[in-house]
Amino acid sequence: MPVSTVSRGRAWAVLALLLALLLLVGCAGPSRLAQLPAELPERVELTATPFYPQTEHQCGPAALATVLGAAGRNADPAALATEVYLPGRQGSLQPELAAAARARGLLAYETGPSLSDLLVEVAAGRPALVLQQLGAGPWPYWHYAVVIGYDKARGQLLLRSGTDARQASRASWFESTWERGGLWGLVLLEPGTLPARPDPLRYMSAAAALETAGNPDAAKAAYAAAVALWPKAPLPRLGLGNLAAAAGDWAEAERWYRAVLADDPAQAAALNNRAEALVRLGCPDAARMLLQQGTVHVAADDPLQPVLQQTVRDLSAQVAATPAGAAAQCTQFTVR
Amino acid sequence: MRNRIFVYALCLAMLNLASPQVAQAALVGTLQAVEASGTRAQDLALVNSALAREQVRGQMEAMGVDPSAVDARVARLTDSELRSLADRMEQMPAGGDALAVIGIVFVILIILELVGVIDIFKKT
Repeated sequence: MPVSTVSRGRAWAVLALLLALLLLVGCAGPSRLAQLPAELPERVELTATPFYPQTEHQCGPAALATVLGAAGRNADPAALATEVYLPGRQGSLQPELAAAARARGLLAYETGPSLSDLLVEVAAGRPALVLQQLGAGPWPYWHYAVVIGYDKARGQLLLRSGTDARQASRASWFESTWERGGLWGLVLLEPGTLPARPDPLRYMSAAAALETAGNPDAAKAAYAAAVALWPKAPLPRLGLGNLAAAAGDWAEAERWYRAVLADDPAQAAALNNRAEALVRLGCPDAARMLLQQGTVHVAADDPLQPVLQQTVRDLSAQVAATPAGAAAQCTQFTVR
Repeated sequence: MRNRIFVYALCLAMLNLASPQVAQAALVGTLQAVEASGTRAQDLALVNSALAREQVRGQMEAMGVDPSAVDARVARLTDSELRSLADRMEQMPAGGDALAVIGIVFVILIILELVGVIDIFKKT
């Protein structure tokens, strides 16, 4: 019937308009590019960044090869695909991209969730891998690209994207696609180098992941840089202690844990690990005493409480089986 | 007497050597400490990593990853990455396609043209 055809046509029109609006909504509103801090230069373009045009669905490997190349680790996108491409999803997942960079000895640092967090790294010479959501509504299209620069005056972001060697995106459009992509940006650093705007937790998370990658030397360099920047922070020193422990140097490990606790006795991880180190050094009594005096400082809802309680139980079993009398070298640990 | 102490010490040392994984399990890893300091959540999963690893391995194979590459890919992921992948591998954003977007825009233009909202494909 004609009436139903018209109303169906009208419904399509409304749907199409809605979709178009969803796509274009990012173009409205002012860009935050104009509000970037003055410390950021007017214009940046990292022209030396290599370019690997993507083949079908392969923007993950291509974008990864781009940032790896800029960090001095040349890699072939086709070879990278065997490391990061998921055929069943026709794409690549963020953790696998970071893991591939870590496997090459690079610190994969997630930038903060603001445009200025992202561009401050670009301005420092590091192209940033970003995730954009280019689709709309029921058709989300996720896309990886690499930000290589920006131009404040023109309101543009410069990207290596897909088959575009140099894409000049309207800043407001980029921001909206980046925001819908989860405000995710990744920069690759040589371990020992700090990001331009380091966040302690994100930095330590990236550094510790280097241990998972089987690269303790890289992790050590990253922790050491963090200790230099945040001398009082517990996690970097805990990391150095753990690396010493993994290498079998329990005396050095114990010193790092002790240093952490001296600044903050509520650090459950350092407390737990120091007790373990003391046991390894042949001083279970000192370990037991440490826990007796130390656990009161740890919050009841600390996520590490279960681990700590387990150590307390293990230790009481161990101490019961140990002949009484602490060795002479243990007295240094019991003096408080 | 001195001999006896020596034997005790030796026994202790051997006990230590014989059960390295017990002692090792008691250390809080750096990444674990990072996660713990980032959250106050009680439900922080500290033990499910082995399970998550198996799930991710299975899902990767189901998603067509070459079985010979699966082990290496799983081994490089951190425990927290494994846990989030195990839960959300189907839904996580998988960046892959930029070209399809152009297609979508084209389809919308055609729809708009057909229903007469716009008139850009006019021949005359």
